[in-house]
Amino acid sequence: MFQFKKPHNELELIMKQGKKRIPHVPDEMFVCCPSCKTAILKDELLENANVCIKCGYHFYINARLRIHNTADKGSFTETDPEMQSENVLGFPDYEKKLTQAKLASSEAEAVITGFCTIEGNPCALFVMEGSFMMGSMGTVVGEKITRLFEAATERGLPVVGFTVSGGARMQEGILSLMQMAKTSGAVARHSRAGLLYITVLTNPTTGGVTASFAMEGDIILSEPDALICFAGPRVIAQTTRQKLPQGFQKAEFLLEKGFIDAIICRQDIRKTLGKLLMMHR
Amino acid sequence: MFSKILVANRGEIAVRIIRACKEMGIATVAVHSLADANALHVNLADESICIGGNSVRESYLNMDSILSAAICTEAEAIHPGYGLLSENPRFAELCEKCNFTFIGPTADVIRIMGDKEKARKTMTDAGIPVVPGSSVIEDPLEARHEADRIGYPLLCKARAGGGGRGIRLVNGPEEFESAFQTASIEAKAAFGDGGIYLEKYINPAKHIEVQLLCDHFGNAVCLGERECSMQRKNQKVIEESPSPSVNEATRRKLIETSLMAAKAVGYRNAGTIEYILDKDGNFYFMEMNTRLQVEHPVTEMITGIDIVKWQLRIAAEVPLPFVQEDIRFTGHAIECRINAENPYMDFRPGCGEITLLHIPGGPWVRFDSAVYQGYSVPPFYDSMIGKLIVHGTNREEAIRKMQASLCELIIEGVEHNADFHMELLNQPAFIDGSYDTGFLNRLLAERQPQGKC
Repeated sequence: MFQFKKPHNELELIMKQGKKRIPHVPDEMFVCCPSCKTAILKDELLENANVCIKCGYHFYINARLRIHNTADKGSFTETDPEMQSENVLGFPDYEKKLTQAKLASSEAEAVITGFCTIEGNPCALFVMEGSFMMGSMGTVVGEKITRLFEAATERGLPVVGFTVSGGARMQEGILSLMQMAKTSGAVARHSRAGLLYITVLTNPTTGGVTASFAMEGDIILSEPDALICFAGPRVIAQTTRQKLPQGFQKAEFLLEKGFIDAIICRQDIRKTLGKLLMMHR
Repeated sequence: MFSKILVANRGEIAVRIIRACKEMGIATVAVHSLADANALHVNLADESICIGGNSVRESYLNMDSILSAAICTEAEAIHPGYGLLSENPRFAELCEKCNFTFIGPTADVIRIMGDKEKARKTMTDAGIPVVPGSSVIEDPLEARHEADRIGYPLLCKARAGGGGRGIRLVNGPEEFESAFQTASIEAKAAFGDGGIYLEKYINPAKHIEVQLLCDHFGNAVCLGERECSMQRKNQKVIEESPSPSVNEATRRKLIETSLMAAKAVGYRNAGTIEYILDKDGNFYFMEMNTRLQVEHPVTEMITGIDIVKWQLRIAAEVPLPFVQEDIRFTGHAIECRINAENPYMDFRPGCGEITLLHIPGGPWVRFDSAVYQGYSVPPFYDSMIGKLIVHGTNREEAIRKMQASLCELIIEGVEHNADFHMELLNQPAFIDGSYDTGFLNRLLAERQPQGKC
């Protein structure tokens, strides 16, 4: 190809001795999709409800953002926001873990509860916070959810719940396991009052939460490709010493087997919930 | 002044920008797709980086890639050229966020002017005459009311369109419903935004546009008008400056109005305001292009001002050393867009290897192009392979010069439209300057029945 000579023209008038601009990408500008590995602009990702524009991978979003995206603007009032866990069993390092969790998630505990309207339909809402000790359920999570169901039963309101959890909180031992029964009791009473309970399972929903209130919804929805299980895939594979089928314990698999009712993309969840609530009224 | 600039474009405009940089002592970085590895702009630049696959989407529209290239090469500024990312407000914003100077106006201005409806409103608020029409209407019934109010014939235009795209003509009320719905669906598919606004169809009309240069210190000059009424399906074919249809009084009003508009918007750098001139000599704002335009050379020829160099200087915070009173318009300039297409086979675009290239020369003959002998025109990009521009002391001389130059232009290996240009320049409607925006479409329609035109 051509080899053009270079004109040796000096740089035209340098007016101010301005600082040379050094290009620098602000850290928060791009995000790498863990699924398809494309670099996506954070702005574009946010606009798309934190779902990868290329492959539809649902990025993790925190509870506050989820509430913001789901509830009608300004309609959410929180209940029991100051409830905090204590190290009742004297489990080593639990206080430290709690402090870390509060800093990491900016929340007091692993669930946010309250009342709101979704597309004009009033309901009780709980959203679990996965960045608080993996969304594990301890006494506070159990209590907040139970109180929410009891209040909803009293007020005759449906309940919508978003779950994300690593299961029962180990540090609170049997007290955590007890929450499974406690919450299920509150759910049952709510149900007997003829009220609707919709759960939306997000990735991952596991352990004691799956084995209790998460799977007790009258209608169970899920985000695509969410891991939903009691014991995790690795434990099962090791225990049964069997190779597990592709997509085992993923939402699509559960849908096929009849454990969940529908898989709804995040962009559509609000409309879907609105429709379901409206139909039930 | 920037010591290094990345040119985020290809083809003749990339060459144009690199040439300006070479004169100014600015180091250049070219970006290219795989198909453009041997392009002229790649060879001319000091450095080049491949930014993606052949399609425009993978390469020249790939913002991450282009920004990465700019970071690797430590460019200080990015010139987006025309088309591609030049009017993408997100790209402008990203450049600024990463500490590059985007050569053009601010992202906000690009965004507002890119929303054709907002642009109309901004101009109306500033007291600038706008083509009678409506704002974006969602409800088809309401749209129908507005359409009846505006009167027929009218145009359904896409809010996110521009550059002649997303426009549907409605001749009468019975056509309206379906045209409106179709326009909305098409707009949604093409631009991701189905918003449609209505505009009175002014016919016959002339497309008159005005070139602006605004620095960062509030100084703005208007470099005259261009007439671009020779259009096929809303795509410009021939441009000239000054316009044979604009007299001194109208020119003064155009300049005054345009400067007012630039101020209203807080415009910076180079930009063009497009107007429609009706048969009574009234002009109405149509849209504003917040970038360098293809036909900028004709303005350069009659004013003697290098618009690209001034874009770079303005972006480097150099104040304009001249005011409106200093601007002189000399002679007449015409530009013919040379496309790799066959006008006699329905403008079918073509590609191929250029086996013989001879470009015309002589006084005031300019050929802006990125082709060279041995170059293979790739099939992935638009068909324009060059712009032939001439300048004469008056319009007649310019026409003669263009005819002579077109005859001397030889591009063998690809079909091109030079012969077609010669025909157009010979048309009585062109020679007397009376041609309007519908002229070429009518001419081509007349030829259709005879088989191919």
